Order: sequence, then C-alpha cells, then structure tokens
Amino acid sequence: MSKSDWNSPEALRRIARRNASERRFKMIGLGAIVLSLSFLALLLVIMLKNGVTGLDWSFLSGSDSTDATVAGVWGATKGSLLTMAVTLLLSFPMGVLAAIYLEEFAPRKRWIEWIEVSINNLAAVPSIIFGLLGLAVFINTMGMPRSSPLVGGLTLALMTMPVIVISGRNAIKAVPPSIREAAYGIGASKVQTTFHHVLPLALPGILTGTIIGMARALGETAPLLMIGMRAFVATPPDGLTSPSSVLPMQIFLWSDEIDKGFVQNTSAAIIVLLVFLLAMNGIAIYLRNKFEVRW
Amino acid sequence: MILTGVLLAVFGLGLVGWFAARGRARLLYTGRGSMHSMPAYHGWHMALWILVPALIAWGVWSAIMPGLIESTVFANPVAASLPTDPMTLGAVVAEAHNLASDPSAVAFHAESQVLVEPIRAAQFRFGLIGALLVVVVAVAGGGYGFTRIRADFRARTQVERAVMALLLAASLMAVLTTFGIVGSLVFEAGLFFKDVSPIAFLTGTHWSPASTMGANINDNFGAVPLFWGTIYIGAIIAMIVAIPLGLMSAIYLTQYATSNVRKWLKPMLEILAGIPTVVYGYFAALTVAPMIRDFAASIGMQNPSTESALAAGLVMGVMIIPFVSSMADDALAAVPRAMSDGSLALGSTKSETIKKVLLPAALPGIVAGVMLAISRAIGETMIVVMAAGAAARLSANPFETMTTVTYQIVQMLTGDQEFNSPKTLSAFALGLVLFVVTLILNIVALRVVKRFREAYE
Repeated sequence: MSKSDWNSPEALRRIARRNASERRFKMIGLGAIVLSLSFLALLLVIMLKNGVTGLDWSFLSGSDSTDATVAGVWGATKGSLLTMAVTLLLSFPMGVLAAIYLEEFAPRKRWIEWIEVSINNLAAVPSIIFGLLGLAVFINTMGMPRSSPLVGGLTLALMTMPVIVISGRNAIKAVPPSIREAAYGIGASKVQTTFHHVLPLALPGILTGTIIGMARALGETAPLLMIGMRAFVATPPDGLTSPSSVLPMQIFLWSDEIDKGFVQNTSAAIIVLLVFLLAMNGIAIYLRNKFEVRW
Repeated sequence: MILTGVLLAVFGLGLVGWFAARGRARLLYTGRGSMHSMPAYHGWHMALWILVPALIAWGVWSAIMPGLIESTVFANPVAASLPTDPMTLGAVVAEAHNLASDPSAVAFHAESQVLVEPIRAAQFRFGLIGALLVVVVAVAGGGYGFTRIRADFRARTQVERAVMALLLAASLMAVLTTFGIVGSLVFEAGLFFKDVSPIAFLTGTHWSPASTMGANINDNFGAVPLFWGTIYIGAIIAMIVAIPLGLMSAIYLTQYATSNVRKWLKPMLEILAGIPTVVYGYFAALTVAPMIRDFAASIGMQNPSTESALAAGLVMGVMIIPFVSSMADDALAAVPRAMSDGSLALGSTKSETIKKVLLPAALPGIVAGVMLAISRAIGETMIVVMAAGAAARLSANPFETMTTVTYQIVQMLTGDQEFNSPKTLSAFALGLVLFVVTLILNIVALRVVKRFREAYE
C-alpha cells in the first residue's frame, strides 16, 4: 500500500470506521442527556398523575389531618412562609454585608483568609449538620421552642448565608473598577462609593443568588427534622414560636402514611412545592435577564 | 411586656434624633466648604448615639432580669410553702410564669397559683426599672451626640467607622457558625465517647444502639456497617450512575451541541438539581424501589425487600448528574483551546480529540468535581431515609436494605428524646465523622482545582 493512497479500500474502511465511532460517541453524549431528562420527565409525570386530581380548594386551604380526604397544605404552607421570612430577614442583610466587606474592604491578611475558607466550607457542609447545630445551640442551649418557625428559620438562615455571600461577592466583583474610580474622582469616600454606586449595580446579581438560596432552603427537610419540625400540627401556626410544619416536612410525613389516600395528598403537596420553587427560579431568571448588565 | 414596648420608644427617639441633628447641622451651613460632613451624616451620628448604648443597656437588662425576678419571688413569704424538691420546684415556677403571662394556661400544681401574683408584681417592677434605665441611657447618649454637632465635626468619618464595624461583624458570623458547628459536635461527641470508646466506635462491626442488653456497651456502637452503607450508596452506586451520565452530558453540551440547543438543554438539566431531596426520596420509595424489588424477584432473589441500597443510590445518582456535569463543564473549559486545535490539526476526529487530549488534560478538574459530588452524596439525607432502610449490615448485595450515617442520625434524634443517653449522643459522633470527611473531601478538591487552573494559566 502506498503511503498517500487515500482511495485504497483499506484506508476507506479505516476512515469509515473512525467516522462511525465519531457518530457513536456523539450519540452516547446525546443519549446521556436524554436519559437524565427522561428521568426528570418520569418524575414529573408520575407526580402529576397521582396528585393533580387532589388539588382543589379544600386541599389548598386545609391543614394536616389523620383523614386523608380532609387533610390540606395551608398549615404547612403558612409554616413555610413564616420560616422563610425569618431566614430571609437574617441571611439577606448578613450575607450582603459580609460580601461587601470581603470584596471591598477586607485587608489581605491571614485571618481574612480564615473567613473566606469557612464561608466556602459552610456552603458545602451537609445540611443535616446544620440541623445538629440548631438542635444543640438553639434548642438545648438557648431553650428556644422546638419545632417553631423561629428555630427553623434561624437554622436555615445559617445554611443560606454562605450561598448569598458567594453569589454576592461574584456580583460585586463583576462591577467594573471604572465605576468606583469615577465616584472616587468626584470625592466620594469608600463607604459612599460602595453603598451609593457599587451595591445598586450589583443588586440584581445578589437578588438572583438570594432567590436561588431561598429556593434551596424552601425545599430543605433534613435540618428541620433535627430540630423537631415533624410533629403532627393540625392548625396553621399563628406566630413565630408556635409549633408548625413546613411543606417538605408535610410531604415527608404523608409519605409515611399507610392509608392509600395519602399517596394522592403527597403528590399534590409535591406539585404545590414544585410550583413555588419553579416560580422562585422563574423570578430569578427574569431578574437576571432584565437587570443584568454585561460590562 | 414593658421592655418590648420601650424598644419601639428607643427607635422612635432615634428617628427624632436623626431629624433634630440633621436640622441643626443644616443651620450651621454657611456656604460651600463650610462643613466637613453633610447634614444627614450628623443625623446618623446622633441616631447611632441614641440607639447603640440604649440597645446595649436593653440587652444587659433582659439578661439579668429573670434572675432578679427569681430572687425577689423567693424572698417573698409565700415561697416558703413551696416544695423543696428541685424537680417539682422547677415545674411549679415554670407553670407560675406561664400563668402570669397567660391566665388561661393549664396548671397541674396548685402551689403555682400562689406564685402568680408575686411574679406579676416583680415583672412589672423590674420591667419598669429596666424601661426607665434604657430611656435614660438613650437620652444621655443622644444628648452627648447632639452637643458634638459642629461645622468642623467629622460626623461622616465616625458613621463610616460604625458601618465598617457592622460589616466586619456580619463577616465574622460565618466563622462563628463554623465554630458553633465544630464546638457543638465535638462537645456532644465527647460526652458520647465518655461511654463508648472511639476505637470501638470506628472499628466495630455491630450496630444496634437500641438494645440495652449485652454486658459491654462498646459492642453495640460499631459504626463500620454505617460507613460501608454510606460509601456503597453514595460513593459507589450513585457515582456509577452520575459520572458517566454527567460527564457525557457535559461533553455533549460543550463540544457538540449548537448554542441554541445548549440554551434549552442546560437549564432543563439544572432543574434536576433544583428538585427538593424529599421529592426524590418519595419518588424513590414510590416508583423506583418497587421496580427494583420486582426486578430482583425476577432474577431469583428470595424475598427481596422494598427498601434497597440500589433504589436509594440510583435516585441519588440522578440527583447528582447536574452537579457532575457542571463541574466537568468547568474542567473542560479550562483546557486551553490550543491543545484541542493541535490535535484536530493533526487529523484526529473530534471524539478522538476529546478522548485522547481533552479528557486527560481535564482529568484533575474532573476528579476534583467527582470528589465534591461524593461529599454531597454522602451528606444526603432524605433519599436514604425514605428509600434505603434501617438495617445496618455489611453486604455488597445492592438489593438488600442498607443504612447510612445520615439515616442513623435522623433515627437517633427523632423519637423518644432522652437527651443524654449514648443512643442520642451517638448521632453527634456520627455527625462529627460526616463533617470531618466532607470537610477533607472539599478542601482537597478545592486545592486540586486551584492547582489545575494555575497549571494552564
């Protein structure tokens, strides 16, 4: 076989083989995605099939009950809203302030690195560990009421804060130095520059990160299990310290019931939870597209 | 009650102080450059002088007030009739406090009734004293702040210093949380290790904390089966699912998909990461586990159980796919373009370039991503709680039930609560192990990623 004879049958066969393996590889890649997404589709279809008939007004406005036909999600939804309110009120200001400090003011010193390392690690600590912290500190040491939205919100706030700090830092980093220099140029102090110019420009990015962090907190069950939010609560909570359940916990509790009617209830509650999460993520994407400036 | 009300008053005072100081500072303005700070900064300076000392005073008083009330009530002659047994005494006092704040509360001890009036009186008296103290401190602070308003007073510098202190305090919260986690885990685990030897805990192979039988408590707390279950489900089964699917998805999305296709597929893949774990757990228990049980029966297993390691691991793997995919995505993007261009120029096909050039070059980044994925999988709780089962056993059969560290933590801490039994405390020891392992995985992975980025810069 001459070296440059590309038309010899042997060379053609080899090229065909290589092209076939190229196509095969591409198909495997596409197949991986399709398989993952079909799993998602299967999950959604099964939940819809089981739950959509259970979604009516009495389900949305009722509270937990031992009778599957009268049980509803409003009690758990209200608990979730109260818990999320506590989480947001604590983690958002703290997260934003910490992000500002670390990005704009922190001296490059050893102990600042400690703060950064601990924030990055906290973001990766399993959520159940935060539940253990909440149980040991908030309930056993400080004596706060068990299974209340207050303790749940505090625990989730500690978990959400690192997420907000990290996304906040990225948003602040993305504001170009020219903005800061223009403010310094007309005599603004460093604090004025940060709060009047950098923060407003970084805010859409911070809000996007916050909503995503809150969505994660809303779906979280394990840490709340640790602080005792699994009690049977038949009335919606009327305050931050009264016993309450939250949506994911309600799903968990119903999933344990033997009565067949609760299969429908569980799936319907999952639909409600997913609608909330989808709405939050939708808002985050909308904010990002609408306000994000590409510098 | 009074103490809560006085907080509102203090904030009202702060607001008034803000306007008063700003108004006064405005009067000082005589033209460009006549003042160091803008009037609003004088307002903030004054408001801080009112709020900060008053809030400190409020905090201190709320901390010492319960003790003062207690001692006054016990000094009261009616307290002499109370039971001396400390347990009952505590219950009576707690009931009396409940009755004092809410007359309709239920009381099981008749003695608590007599304490209600003294408690109410003491609460009123000390509340009033505290409220007066807080107001006096606020007014004094405000007065001092007001006298400092001058044209050349550097109010802005002062306010900015306070802002900096606030920013620093917020960042220290993260360190405080870390210390809180480490401190509480180490403390509670220390109590556990007083009863059970750490070596028996880490190397023993028999886990049955519920049984109080057996002469040696050490024999019941061998955690190796839990570690094995955790590794088998989270690091083996889940990764067998997640690594190929996640890696191939990332390769397809970054190397083959057109930008339009990517724009749609990538967010859809990320939805998988956004679904709450309790939903996955329910899906695993409702759909996947029965399917696996039927499959196990069809290949000849005797009495396969509904809960199985395979069901939990499989669903967990699916949950991790987007995570592995985005980590692989980053690792592939960090490989310099020149490397794949060189390979393509030599005549290799795209898939050959990916397999022989891109993947080896991106390997450290991908390995680090897998480590992070494992650390996430072994800390995952709800899926294993709902689908993996409770039996601690050392087995390599994926159709058997298996338990994990997180499952046992949940198991130990929900149910009857007697807080200081070794059974409950073992949850904290398990939590400590979990925390240390995930921490090591994360630190090593982040270091590898950093090294790997630097290598191509």
